[in-house]
This record gives sequence, C-alpha cells and structure tokens, in this order.
Amino acid sequence: MTLLAVHKAVERNTGLLIFGILVVASIGGLVQVLPSTLDESLSAPAPNVVPYGPLELVGRDIYIRESCSTCHSQQVRPLLAEVKRYGAYARAGEFAYDRPFLWGSKRTGPDLLRVGGKYTDAWHRVHLLDPRTVIPTSIMPAYPWLDTRGANADDDIQARLKTLRTLGHPYSDEAIESAPAALEGKTELDAVVAYLQSLGRFGINDVEEHVGH
Amino acid sequence: MIAQRPPLLRFGAVLVAPEAAIASIAADPPSGARAFFGAAVWLGLLPPLFAAIGTMTFGWRLGVEPLFLPAGTVVAIGAAYFVLLLFGFLSTAVVARWMASTYGADASWSRSFALVTLVGAPLAIGSVVHLYPNAFVNVLVLVPTLIWSMYLLYRGLPAVMKTDPGRGMLMASSLIAYLLVSWVTLLGITAVLWSRGVGPHVAT
Amino acid sequence: MVEHARNGAVEHYEDRIVAAFTFCSIVWAIAGMAAGVYAAAELVWPELNFGLPWLSFGRLRTGHTNLVLFGFGVSALIGTSLYSVQRTSHVRLLAPKLAWFVFYAWQLTIVLGAWSLLAGWNGGKEYAELEWPFDIAIAVIWIAYAVVFFGTIARRKVAPIYISNWFYGALIIVVAMLHIVNNLALPATLSKSYSLFPGAQDAIVQWWYGHNAVGFLLTGGFLGMLYYFLPKQAEQPIWSYRLSIVAFWAFVYSYIWAGPHHLHYNAIPEWVQSLGVIMSLVLLAPSWATMINGVMTVSNAWRKLQTDPALKFIVLALAFYGLATFEGPMMAIRSVNVMSHFTEWTIGHVHSGALGWNALITFGTFYYLVPRLAGRPLHSTVLANAHFWLALAGIMLYVLSMWAAGLSQSLLWLSLDDLGEVRYSFVEVMEAMAPYYLLRLVGGVLFLAGTVLMAVNLRLTFAGARTVAVSAPALVPAHAAAFSAAGGTP
Repeated sequence: MTLLAVHKAVERNTGLLIFGILVVASIGGLVQVLPSTLDESLSAPAPNVVPYGPLELVGRDIYIRESCSTCHSQQVRPLLAEVKRYGAYARAGEFAYDRPFLWGSKRTGPDLLRVGGKYTDAWHRVHLLDPRTVIPTSIMPAYPWLDTRGANADDDIQARLKTLRTLGHPYSDEAIESAPAALEGKTELDAVVAYLQSLGRFGINDVEEHVGH
Repeated sequence: MIAQRPPLLRFGAVLVAPEAAIASIAADPPSGARAFFGAAVWLGLLPPLFAAIGTMTFGWRLGVEPLFLPAGTVVAIGAAYFVLLLFGFLSTAVVARWMASTYGADASWSRSFALVTLVGAPLAIGSVVHLYPNAFVNVLVLVPTLIWSMYLLYRGLPAVMKTDPGRGMLMASSLIAYLLVSWVTLLGITAVLWSRGVGPHVAT
Repeated sequence: MVEHARNGAVEHYEDRIVAAFTFCSIVWAIAGMAAGVYAAAELVWPELNFGLPWLSFGRLRTGHTNLVLFGFGVSALIGTSLYSVQRTSHVRLLAPKLAWFVFYAWQLTIVLGAWSLLAGWNGGKEYAELEWPFDIAIAVIWIAYAVVFFGTIARRKVAPIYISNWFYGALIIVVAMLHIVNNLALPATLSKSYSLFPGAQDAIVQWWYGHNAVGFLLTGGFLGMLYYFLPKQAEQPIWSYRLSIVAFWAFVYSYIWAGPHHLHYNAIPEWVQSLGVIMSLVLLAPSWATMINGVMTVSNAWRKLQTDPALKFIVLALAFYGLATFEGPMMAIRSVNVMSHFTEWTIGHVHSGALGWNALITFGTFYYLVPRLAGRPLHSTVLANAHFWLALAGIMLYVLSMWAAGLSQSLLWLSLDDLGEVRYSFVEVMEAMAPYYLLRLVGGVLFLAGTVLMAVNLRLTFAGARTVAVSAPALVPAHAAAFSAAGGTP
C-alpha cells in the first residue's frame, strides 16, 4: 500500500484518524517516558535518604500550597559555579520520597536544594514572616499568616501519611499513630522551617523530627 | 536637486522628516554602492565606536559593578560588532531581494539597500546610548527605537520597494520574522561561545 | 440551496455556542492577563499583596497561567473548533446539548478552579496545579468535547476530513493522554493528592506533559485555527496541501520527545536528555513547514489587508510563530540551555510564543469571527489598528527586557572571581533584575490595554445582535460523488 493510499484512507475515516494520531503520539512516550517510570535506579532512595517526618511533610505541602516552586528551584546542576554557590549537585536518589518533585523551572529566588542547615531556625522564621527584615531589597512575598494556623489545623496528617505509605513510603503504624501528637502545639511556620531545614542533608536531622526511624 | 545630496544626509533625514525622506528615497534611490559606502558603512561604524568609548570609560554595567575589559578585548569586540552589523545589513538586503518576487516588489540592490539603511538609521543613531554601557539603560533606549524602526519598516517598505500597501505589509512581516530569528540565533551563538569559555574576560 | 434535516426543517449550524465560547475566552483573557500584570507588579513592589494569601505572588502566578491557558486558550480552541468542524463537514454539530454541557461545565471548572488555586489547592506540577476533583471534571468534559467533535466529523457530508480538523483532533486526543497520565495521583483529602510517580520519574512525566501541553494545546490546536481561519480570511486555499499533511504527522511524532529539554543537567539519565535535544531540533522542520505554508497562503491575500485588520494580526502571529519555534529548539541545545535555564530568558521565550503567536492569532480570528456571528461589520478599524500597535509594542518590550535580563542573570550567576569562588551573591544579581521587571510590567500593561480595546470593539460590534443563523451550502456535486464512491465511510 503506497503512502498516498494510506493517506487517502486515513483522510476519509474518522476512526483511522483517531487511531493514527494516538499511535504516532504514543511512540515518544513509550520509548522515553515508560522505561524511565520502570527504571528503579531513578526511584531508589540514595543512602541516608528518609521519608519526610510529619512536621516536614506538612511544611512541604505548605511549600506546594504557596507555590514556592514558582520562584525557587531545588536542583543544583553539575556546573562549577553552581556547585560552588549551592553545594553538591543533585542526584536522582535524593528525590525518592518527593511526591511531586519540586525541582522548579525558575530562580527568581535562590535554589533551595541544599538550604538545610545553612541558616538558623530563627533566621528562617524572621525571613518567612517578612523577608525584607533580613534582606531589605528582597522581592519575596511576606507570609505572616503561617504563624496563625496550627500545623494540623485540618487534622488530616494521618490521611496524608497513609496515602504516602500506599505509594511506597515506609511509614510504620506507630509513626502514623503518633503523628498528630508530633504536630501538637506547632504552627504552619514551624512546619515550613522544619521542611526547609531538612532539604539536602540526606536525612541528617534532629532525630525527634523523624517519627518511626 | 535632492538627488545630489550626500547619501548620509538623505538617509539621516528619516530621523527628522520621515515621510519626506521615504518619499525622496523611493522616488530616486541612490545606487547600491552609494547607499552602502556613502551611508550604511558610516552609520554602522557608530555603534561599535560608541560601545568602545563607553566600555573604556565606564566599563560594562550589568547591574552590579562596572566590568572593565582589557584594551585589546575592547578593540576586538568593536571590530566583531562592526563586521556583524555589516553582515546583518547585507544579509537582510539579500533576504529582502529574495522575498521581493513573492510580494511583487522591485528586487533591485539599490532599493533593498535603501530600505535597510532607512530602517536601521534610527538604531544606529540611538546607539549613542552605548556611551554609557549600562545594560538596562541601553534596553530602555534601544527597544523603543526598535519599535520606531519597525514602524518605519511597515511605513516605508511599500514605497521604497515599489509594491502596494497590502503586499508591503506582508513582506515587512516576513522581514521581521527573519530579523527576529537572526537576532535569536545571535543570542544562541553567544550563549554557546560564552558557556564554553570563549568570551570576554574581565581585566583584573 | 440549503441542507434539510430528515424532517424537512432547515438545518442551521449551531453557532450560538461559538459566540458563547468567544465571549468567555475574551473575559478570561482579560482576567488572566490582569493577573499576570498584577503579579509582574508584585515583583517590582512586593507589598502589593497587602499580606493576603490569595494575592501573594506564588498563588497569583498559578492563577494567571491557568486562566490564560485553560480559560482564554482552551475556550478559544473549543469555540473555533466547533465553528470550523461544522463548516468543513457541512453538518450541524452532533448533540448540541452535549456541546452546551461542555461549555457550561468548562466555564464552571475555570471559575471554581481559579478560586481553588488562589485558596491554595495545588497539585504542585506546572500547568497541572488543579487538584484531583478538577482533574476528573476536566477528563469528563474533555471526553464530551471529543464525542461532539469527532461525532460531527463522523456524520460529515464531505468525504475528506479537512486538515484543520486533524490538528484540533490531535489536540483532543493527545491532551487527553497527557492529562490522564500526568495527573495520576492518590487523593489523601478532597484538596490534596500525591503523585503516583516520585522524584526524577515524576520530573520526566511532568515535562512529557508540560512540553506537549505547549505542543498540542498551544501549537497544535492553534494550527487547527490557522488552517481554517487563514484561508477563509485570505480567501485563498492553503498553499500546499501535501506539505500540510507531511508536516502534521512529523509534528505529532516529534513533539512528544522534546520534553526532557526542560531537564538539561538535571538528575535524569543522559540518554533521555540527548533524545530531547535531537528531537527538539528535528521539530524545527514541521514547525517551519507550517509557517511557510501559512506565509505563502497569505501572500496572495494582500488586497484584503487594506480593509481587514484581522489579517494583520495573523500575519504578525506567523512571524512570532517562526521566532518561537526557532528559539525553542535553540534553547534545547545543552550549551545554550546552560545559559537559559532558570533565567528570565525562559520567561521571554514563553511570552514571545504566548503573546506573539497564540494571543495574536486568536485576536485575528476573533476580529474575523465576531462580525460574522453578529452579521455586522467590525465596529472600528481604528481601534483594531491601535490594538495591533499596542500588542506589538507590548511584546517587544516584554521579550527584549527578558532576554537582556536572562543573559545578565546567567552571566552574573556563573561568574567566578580569581580565587575560583562565585563572584556575585544571589542578592546582588537579583537586585540587578529590578529595572527589567519594571520594563516588563510596562510591556504587559500595553499588551493588556490592547486586549481591552479589542474587547470593547467586539462588544460594540455584537451589541444587541443575535447570532446569525447559517446553513450548510449545497454540496458541490463532485464532493458528494466522491463521498458515495468511497463508500460513505464515517
């Protein structure tokens, strides 16, 4: 069958057209994307990488809620100047428990992949409540409302941990049981600071922040 | 009598009396050689000259601190800038000639050269802002100048290339497509060269 | 002279729905661009959020992208596709009630969706931020749209399926595939779900989606618009039908692979990145083939430019289409990407395409469509011409300031001093961007102003009119014969 004949057939048949588009458009995904989703080296955690504890998870979800990825990346590239500025470049295994990934596509503000441990908790708190108190020329929005809400205000931390466990994050039953208690008396601000302090340190954090390890 | 005036004045008039300048050029365009050697080359010398003086005096200012380049580098960049401008001028004229037949325009060298010189003149004069090589200030001055040049292109092309307004508008848009693509190609080549270390080094 | 339905009544095209989608598209354009302008202003004066969560930059930017893409863009695509599919098929829309469901459900999704984004419901992935209840709603609405669109084609009276329907069809099918796969997630609560894929895998899936949202929504769908509305406006046939077919299949095949160019030097395998580079460069060919097809088609229509401001927009849109589809592959090259990734250059690139190509061609199409729907001439060509220049000036200011900002940013970020340490602090570089953000804001304001002029102009054109009832013309005997000879296969 000549190409012209194939074309004439497809041009006159809705079903063939739909099928043709679907087949041709699927090829790239089947070759490029599908193998990647099955490649365990891309999803296996690197040594010392642990799932987020409840406070850190709440903080991460707030980071997503406020769309922090709009301005901040979490992906250090293997370029000399970048490694000098931010630290070790990113490796796939670090992101095994990142759902969704937060690599970002823009640096209006600095990359945050290795921000954990670089500033004190106090610095982060002041900075988040009003960035211009520590950096006068900053254009980052202020987030004063983070201090007004409890970290477990929606009382859904167990639902979130259970969902993540279904997706493969190793949370124990005790970890999930004790999660609300771990959030007692903490605000959203505490949660975001905990999350930021956990970034890029390969799980080397205060042990009590990690429930179940 | 107007045809006796030096090309530089005839083209330069576009800055003070655009309609008259366009009409005069369209009615009696100078020869390609006169347009090129009498006007375009001189106008093209201005940006590299201003840039060189500005860089030596004030240094490149990207918004943080002035960056001074060694004299040899400044001269080299100036020369490259001039060569690129001439290449841009010639290639645009060639592309305009190539497009002319599609749009029923007069595909002569003199008219193509005349068009590019007319449209480029404001930018050449506007490049006086290179005397202060602050990146943003240059953007602030040259982008509106560019928009003015684009307006001159739409206005002037039908008359200079002797085609009707409709086809002239189409040809002008096609030329703009070519110019945008060339500009972005230049950006790309620059990025490739600089990311490989082939670029200006700051004088210590 | 006119087609008759089986019961003998004259069958008109269902065009009121086209008017409805057009109206909403313009409303979302203004709302979405206003959100963008406000967000741009916040980068100059951060206090503009007045301490309100729903006005803060992160949430507002998300509202902006969703409103312009799914409000402005998709409404325009659905509306114009329903207009053109009827006319290229010579039949009234299949199941108009289902089509109206698509209309109302889509607009409701946009309203509630935008509200949810400002409230902080966010899936965390670009252009897929709407959380799972909306994802499901979108999938349902999309299937209904597919039924209406392909169903109309299936009952067509013209044998060959016209090329614009191929592109709109690809939009429908591929976006469905991308949307479903990329939004696969497990809900934890009504407003929070977690993606099926983690980390690096999620990144690859996301940019397979993200790039092809650009490819099939912003490019493919609007090429469908181009292939119908350009020949209609120019009153010229497409310059090369053969080229359009070859370009179509090459386009559908290659675009899908280009996603990883968003992830150069990121933590994904080399081979995936390299494939992204190669196929992004390959993509240049079908993109430019289409541009050339458009340019050559319109080159015979020059007489109309005197009287028709709409055509001017389409002509300029083609120029920016050429720019954007050239710049994209160029930025996909690794050495260029080193200098462009994470910088304002990416923003400049996006907006040269979104404003220069998508917005301008939609505006041109609306200037053609609305007078026809109203059965009256355009209210004011002066306003339309003013719009043209405001749009052009706005785009040039926006794009050029972002190019300059982006290059400065990456040069300054990558500069090392004599000791091999980074030369400039992040804060210093950020401060250097301030004047560019202001210039970009001016560009955005100009572009928005032009859009508002268009809205006023079209409103005055349509004021008080009822959508004109149009019936399918009698079929040329040759087409009818060819249809029955081909066995009349739907």
